[in-house]
Amino acid sequence: MRLQIPLAIILIMGLFTIVTSFVPAKPIADLNQTFRNWYIGIITFFIFLGTFNLVRVNGERIKTKARDWQYSIILIAALGVMLFAGFFKGRASLDEGSPFMYLYFNVQFPLEATMYSLLAFFVTSASFRAFRARNTQALVLLLAAVLIMLGRVPVGTSIWKGFPDVTEWIMSYPNAAAKRGIRLGIDLGLISMALRMILGIERSYMQ
Amino acid sequence: MDFIEKIGRLDRRIIFLTVALAVILPLFFPLGLPIEVTPPVQQLYDVIEGLSEGSVVMMSIDYDPSGAPELQPATLSILRHCFRRDLKVLMLGLWAPGVPLGVQALDEVGVGEFNREYGVDFVNFGYKPGGAVTLVNLGRDIHDVCRQDIYGTSVEELPMMDDVKAANDIGLVLSMSMGVPGSDQWIWYYHARYQGNLATAQTAIGAPRYYQYLQTGQLVGLVGGMKGSAEYERLVDHMGLATTGMDSQSVAHLLIIGFVILGNIVYWAEKRRKA
Repeated sequence: MRLQIPLAIILIMGLFTIVTSFVPAKPIADLNQTFRNWYIGIITFFIFLGTFNLVRVNGERIKTKARDWQYSIILIAALGVMLFAGFFKGRASLDEGSPFMYLYFNVQFPLEATMYSLLAFFVTSASFRAFRARNTQALVLLLAAVLIMLGRVPVGTSIWKGFPDVTEWIMSYPNAAAKRGIRLGIDLGLISMALRMILGIERSYMQ
Repeated sequence: MDFIEKIGRLDRRIIFLTVALAVILPLFFPLGLPIEVTPPVQQLYDVIEGLSEGSVVMMSIDYDPSGAPELQPATLSILRHCFRRDLKVLMLGLWAPGVPLGVQALDEVGVGEFNREYGVDFVNFGYKPGGAVTLVNLGRDIHDVCRQDIYGTSVEELPMMDDVKAANDIGLVLSMSMGVPGSDQWIWYYHARYQGNLATAQTAIGAPRYYQYLQTGQLVGLVGGMKGSAEYERLVDHMGLATTGMDSQSVAHLLIIGFVILGNIVYWAEKRRKA
């Protein structure tokens, strides 16, 4: 029963979702709307589940003094401070100058932006060490990358006015064609995986 | 150890230092390079120009602070364009950490620069969980999904929302996005069902994925990365952080190209020596 019941739920819900795409009339549409609302409720609950899990995992790390456990203290402290700043002023926490907005724009914002900007350093280092014209395909890729890098910044236009047009052409044709092919492949894979799950062939999600 | 070998073993801290200098120096000594507007950005500008006065632009803040240096200037510029054209703005977001960015943008542009009235000219419904499913519901019944704004006011008490009930009351949807849920969900689940004008602003790394949707007409405009934001700043004639950042990005790109060429010279020289 522990196997059959989840499989039956997946089968019924999967088939029902497919049917709703083709039969948008009552009562199926109303039932579908109810399921959508349930989904949003469940997803919202995941925020609490995620927060609880974060505290539990990091609390365990502090308790057992696992490697780099000191970072877990910082994480839980930061979580607590942001939660407090967000809750204690209620709706007014989004007003300009509130403790929450102060922490958001003076701590969270620069930290996240800095982490993301570190990419520039690693990309440059990796380009120097790994971006080699080892064969014709690599050479084509390298040339395309250089053209796009020049076409996407004003200095490229200053060197030659045609760089932005070349960049747009690369983006609109070779790039779009490749992306479309990849997308179609992904979607066919998704459809086959969904069918495997609905029919009970794919069961790894239950483990 | 000869020169080629020395270059080949260049300490990566030197590379990091040159990148830092390439980014920082142009901020202090601007080059003032001209910014050309590309067709995808111009298209979005033209769509907004074509909307009639009082039309509603629904802007979804689907990014967090890590994407803000690239996307926040676009958000500010597009808001400037909307308020200048007397359009109404309905803001929401699929990313919880993006809510304060939206609030700040509306405060700065809507209230600070254009003296617009909250609830009449613009509203903010904040974070909407549920991704794709929420978007399906949103197009059908906006009041059902957005029952309260971020300040706890009921949607029925917001005058702007009296005539904004479903997807066909929206003139343009803008997804300012850097990941999932974001523009993909707006295209697949919202636009596929409700049609209408949909455009996106993306981080530079995400933009190439959306050219295919631009070609098919599913997107009516695309602002890609900080360059796209700088282009929009030029279009609305309000130079901001994206324009300032363009000089740094120009020098950084030249530096990366320089390192790629240098790396290949070393590679071919070493290959030739071994042969």
